[in-house]
Amino acid sequence: MRKSGAVIPLILILLFCDIRYSPAHQKLRIISLAPSTTEILFALGLDDEIVGVSQFCNYPPQALLKEKVGSFSQPNIEKILSLKPDIVFCTGLEQGPIVTKLRELNLKVGVSDPSNFRELFNSIKEIGRFVNKEGEADALIKEMKMNIDQINSKVRLIPKEKRVKVFVEIWHSPLMTAGRGSFIDELITLAGGINISHDTRRPYTYFSSEQVIKRNPDCIILAYMGRENPISIIRERLGWNSISAVKNSRVYNDINPDLFLRPGPRLILALKEIYKRLYP
Amino acid sequence: MSPLLKRKILLLFIILLLAILWGIAKGSVDVSLVELFLKENRQILYLRLARILLAIVAGSGLAVSGIALQATLRNPLAEPYLLGTSSGAGLGAVIAIIMGIYRIYLPFAAFIGAILSVILVYAIARERTRIRVQSLILSGVIVSITLSAIIVFLISVSGNEALHGLMWWLWGNLQVYDFKLLLIVSAVVFMGIIAIFAFSQDLNAISIGEEEAIHLGIRVERIKKILILITSLISASLVSVCGIIGFVGLIIPHIVRLIIGANHKFLIPVSCLGGAAFMVTCDVVSRTIFPPLEIPIGVITAIIGAPVFIVLLKRTQRVK
Amino acid sequence: MNTILKIDNLSGGYAKELVIKGISLEIKKGDFLGIIGPNGSGKSTLLRLMTRVLTPQNGRIVLEHKDIFQMKLKEFCQKVAFVPQDALINFSFSVEEIVLMGRIPHLGRLEFESKRDFLIAQDALSITDTLYLKEKQIDELSAGERQRVIIAKALAQEPILLFLDEPTSHLDIGHQIQILDLLKSLNKENGLTIVMVLHDLNLASEYCNRLILLNEGRIFKEGSSEEVLTYQNIEAVYKTVVVVNKNPINFKPYVILVSDANRHNFQ
Repeated sequence: MRKSGAVIPLILILLFCDIRYSPAHQKLRIISLAPSTTEILFALGLDDEIVGVSQFCNYPPQALLKEKVGSFSQPNIEKILSLKPDIVFCTGLEQGPIVTKLRELNLKVGVSDPSNFRELFNSIKEIGRFVNKEGEADALIKEMKMNIDQINSKVRLIPKEKRVKVFVEIWHSPLMTAGRGSFIDELITLAGGINISHDTRRPYTYFSSEQVIKRNPDCIILAYMGRENPISIIRERLGWNSISAVKNSRVYNDINPDLFLRPGPRLILALKEIYKRLYP
Repeated sequence: MSPLLKRKILLLFIILLLAILWGIAKGSVDVSLVELFLKENRQILYLRLARILLAIVAGSGLAVSGIALQATLRNPLAEPYLLGTSSGAGLGAVIAIIMGIYRIYLPFAAFIGAILSVILVYAIARERTRIRVQSLILSGVIVSITLSAIIVFLISVSGNEALHGLMWWLWGNLQVYDFKLLLIVSAVVFMGIIAIFAFSQDLNAISIGEEEAIHLGIRVERIKKILILITSLISASLVSVCGIIGFVGLIIPHIVRLIIGANHKFLIPVSCLGGAAFMVTCDVVSRTIFPPLEIPIGVITAIIGAPVFIVLLKRTQRVK
Repeated sequence: MNTILKIDNLSGGYAKELVIKGISLEIKKGDFLGIIGPNGSGKSTLLRLMTRVLTPQNGRIVLEHKDIFQMKLKEFCQKVAFVPQDALINFSFSVEEIVLMGRIPHLGRLEFESKRDFLIAQDALSITDTLYLKEKQIDELSAGERQRVIIAKALAQEPILLFLDEPTSHLDIGHQIQILDLLKSLNKENGLTIVMVLHDLNLASEYCNRLILLNEGRIFKEGSSEEVLTYQNIEAVYKTVVVVNKNPINFKPYVILVSDANRHNFQ
């Protein structure tokens, strides 16, 4: 009976080690509450590790198969706990109280809130570190930088006078646009355009029709989908038919808003699409 | 009419004219009054004129609807959105946005929502032969709260675009995209104001009591229905184009009553003046305080309206 | 020709419940009719039925040969005016504006008041001794002043028949007498027919030339104050012990309420 006496403590010790075992040797369990972070995670090569996403995480298609843990602003805390995540990724701004709550429950929370490319790359690096995909993170960043440089080299050839003035309409009633400090503004600049609301230092802001008319953009991009012909919608607005963009029928609503509203790898696609519209 | 009264009305008229002038001259774009009439700035001039027209229509429409509801419901806290038009319009707009309907159909959807909401409020409150004022008020409050809850629910499950729609509806906006729609709304509101003015005598009588009004020969139940219909049309048209602009319909009637008394024959026209002047002023402030930003008009009406009302109220209390 | 209002088998109430059950009554020109009765006997309901506020379930009411429900409401109100128990007005109309509203039955919807209307209002104000209050706001007045103004409004209608629902219940004794004296003089000197609901039996006894004692929706007794105000009638209807004496000043019946402590004297 002395043999069994030694076995039991041995089993107990092994079990104990198992519980405290570092997660590096087991599959991570990750939950992402932000669609942008979900895209980054998949781009880093993760899939099985992602055990839960918010209901708005719709890209890539594999994300649709994942367990839903609630909406962007109202995640289901119980659901999150029941999935036993090793880390939960949130954004900082709107999900602030959720971050606090999750941390109170002793969950590991990763917060990312990039407002420009530099911060986005830092964020991807940090996410890579959290999920042990540092190599993949670096590769992703390198690829994104390369794409940006490609566009940049084309843009440098365009003389200053030929730079296109752009108005990006985030919403129509009330009229809203993206000023300096937003990704959209940075995308436009990188694509060689001039954002007519660049002097507004707020990333998302109300704007006035008067200003749009006065500043006379060459190109208008609508950041929302719609079934009607965008040119006819804008042209019928009181006073807008004198705008250069309208006169030349350069009003576009065919870029998927998710591309430039989500700070993730698909921003590069948005950059390419914007460049194509500005300099066809 | 006493000379003092005439002077007060003249003053209001001058304020309105000055506000209109200011509204044309100033805006988020910095252009001098002379330059504004140049061909290249013509569009901006049209935009400002259209906005001012909407402000006048909304200001006077909301003020007169407020008066009519306060007298009919015999409640000084009644305001144009009490019978559910605002939450109905918001729900109509949010549903339309979620379904992907934009352009002119958006105000139309809001209008339908507002009217359906009033019909619901009325249906809940009415009894076989009459409609009790307390029932209307309760029904309006309950329907508004319920519809607002549905709006919040829809927004929480549908995402960004519906949220933008909420902003417009919640704080009001006087920007004009569709000039034809503006003309239609102006016509509806104008006719509604004329109709309410025609009922001044009835409003005077009803405001001292329903039974007292019957004893003066007023067919009270019929008049109540007509007035609720007209105010609902005015309120629904305005809220489907401008969103909720609070304060105006509640406070302007009180302010004007403090100045010229409760006789509706004078109260209604002077409130048109007062409401228009107030709204045009608030609109200019909203456009010029932080250019190129345009602050939602509902914020400005509250910030300016509250202190003005308190000052006037304190002054009359001291006199008494 | 002498009868102003004839009521035939009138029944009615609120919703389906009958409060007034089959009342027939003739009001003659120059009457000062008092309607008395315990709470719940239907006094206010009867007034409301007679003034078209409520629609009767049964019966007919004829004003000067015309069925009142065949008349236009404004036409009816040109002849019949009503003073409620207490008028609570939330809006600050001036006294003159309130009294001018009495002219509404005579004005078309879009018509403005004429000079004549202003003069009539002026007269009504002076008869009720409220002319000095003309410019004041109605919500600044005392209860007595307010009641006189409401009566002035009713008089501005130039009615031939005036209904009042407990016009003095909220007033002190001085104001009570003042109002009733005014009504009496309008009745005697101007020939105004008055129908008044009163709860004070002795005031009813002094001022009214006819009394109607209501009980449970029906007329219990009708006639002069001597005929109606007997202790048998009062005890049967009000279910309380009273003694009826003769008032030494006006020689009309005077009702004395008997408290429990004193009842043993009358067992």
